[in-house]
Amino acid sequence: MQNEKMIVCRCEEVTYKELMETKKTYNCSARELKLRTRAGMGYCGGRTCRGMIDKIAMFQDSPKNNKEVSLKYQPPIRPVSFTDLGGVKQ
Amino acid sequence: MNKVIIIGAGPSGLEAAITCREQGLDVLVLDEYMIAGGRLLGQLYEQPDGTWWNGLEESKIRYEKALELGTRFLLNTPVNNIVQTNEHWTVYTDTESFTAKHLLLATGAAETPVPVPGWTLPGVMSVGAAQVMTNVHRVKPGNRGVIIGVNVLSTAIAMELKLAGIEVVAMTLPVNSQVTNESSQPKEVMNSLLHVSHMAPSKFIKLGSRLMKNDFMKNMGVTFFPKTGVKIWDIPIQLRKAVVEIYGDNEVQGVIVATIDSKGDVVGGSEEKIKADFVCIAGGLYPLAELAAVAGCSFYYSEELGGYVPLHSERMETNLDGLYVAGNITGIEGAKVAIAQGKTAGLTIAHHAGIPGLEKDIQTSIESIERARDKAYIQFHPGVKKGKELLLAEWQNRLGE
Ligand SMILES: Cc1cc2nc3c(=O)[nH]c(=O)nc-3n(C[C@H](O)[C@H](O)[C@H](O)COP(=O)(O)OP(=O)(O)OC[C@H]3O[C@@H](n4cnc5c(N)ncnc54)[C@H](O)[C@@H]3O)c2cc1C
Repeated sequence: MQNEKMIVCRCEEVTYKELMETKKTYNCSARELKLRTRAGMGYCGGRTCRGMIDKIAMFQDSPKNNKEVSLKYQPPIRPVSFTDLGGVKQ
Repeated sequence: MNKVIIIGAGPSGLEAAITCREQGLDVLVLDEYMIAGGRLLGQLYEQPDGTWWNGLEESKIRYEKALELGTRFLLNTPVNNIVQTNEHWTVYTDTESFTAKHLLLATGAAETPVPVPGWTLPGVMSVGAAQVMTNVHRVKPGNRGVIIGVNVLSTAIAMELKLAGIEVVAMTLPVNSQVTNESSQPKEVMNSLLHVSHMAPSKFIKLGSRLMKNDFMKNMGVTFFPKTGVKIWDIPIQLRKAVVEIYGDNEVQGVIVATIDSKGDVVGGSEEKIKADFVCIAGGLYPLAELAAVAGCSFYYSEELGGYVPLHSERMETNLDGLYVAGNITGIEGAKVAIAQGKTAGLTIAHHAGIPGLEKDIQTSIESIERARDKAYIQFHPGVKKGKELLLAEWQNRLGE
């Protein structure tokens, strides 16, 4: 197996190759990378791959934003079951 | 309504809870894990004075003290959102919400994952997971492990695994890619290793740390780093090899390592297999600041502190009213620093809650954070002091705006 086939976002099964090609084609920001590939948009809310998407976005010295977190955090920051969300008593 | 809510029952959260209770404030602590203690639970090492730092016991002592003082705890309770409304904070969990005038985020740190081909196989885990299995749950993660990623934390945990009778057959680098960068560069890794040399009984590393003060010597060090690695506690550490793939049919069966040049690029044809039944990935730590981000805190990125940290004062206040931070959320450091920060945060909260006469105690507690930092046994980044200074300057800067 090579780097190319390596999975970066496990929830959405997005590979390293797909992310690098997207970066090279569109020279996009971390947020745009996420929106184009769905990396970081799965069940875990990007807990695992967030940092990697940031790094891929910095390919070829794209600048780093050092004042604000580059990928927005959205509540709920932990998975919540539908039962709890709907307030349904079991 | 609660007076104070603390999210995180790690060393900083526990110390803050104790401090607030001693000042007579009503305190509720929430933690998503089933045991109080946070990352302190897994720590086990011999200190320079020959005594042992046993995190399980240290956690228990603080948790029991907080309980005795009348702190309320809700464990097994993840917080998924916090919102500021009309001068108080609402904290959301799966089934309930709580409000308080003062909210402390003591959520600690998380591990940075480093992807390696095959890292989704069962049997691959973060090095912190191996630490928790071994030291907290007392379950062996396997019998023969390989650790990918050579840094302070993985070196410390490798030793803990050894103590538990688990064989670590190799510690080596991840294969070079855009997502591994520094952690796959022999020179960068060598550089950071020099700061843990005091932990290593190996002559090579000890000698090396004195010789390698300049770049030229570091390059030479990497070039002449023995191909077979150097041994620390009998574990071969290889900076001139990298794992190019983790293999196995349905679970980990081993890794393929290859020789790399001093830039981290693989030398073709040098691949060989090493058998293992578990693999740990060690990518280092970053401050877990999700809730501060959701709340809308100002942030600052600092390599030395491990990533994005909420902007905060020496007294542990954020730029949002009634929101405080303590522990590793403010930068990656050891447990003793986290404890000292928890105390400062507790006193600052008591001060804002109207308890008079705390000014001197606050100043003393700020000084003891500095002292704990200077004496720290484990330093996660050699530039942590500088990182803290820059952050404070940025705080004062933006406050002035
Ligand atoms: C894997 C790992 C290993 C480490 N090993 C060492 C070591 O060997 N030596 C050393 O000195 N330092 C080590 N550290 C550093 C460690 O972070 C500090 O020593 C110290 O534990 C930091 O204390 P803290 O109170 O800031 O956070 P932590 O101890 O991390 O505690 C934070 C607590 O907050 C809880 N929490 C987080 N988010 C939420 C949420 N949304 N809802 C509810 N609860 C939440 C967590 O469950 C946790 O219990 C390690 C860190 C990690 C991550």
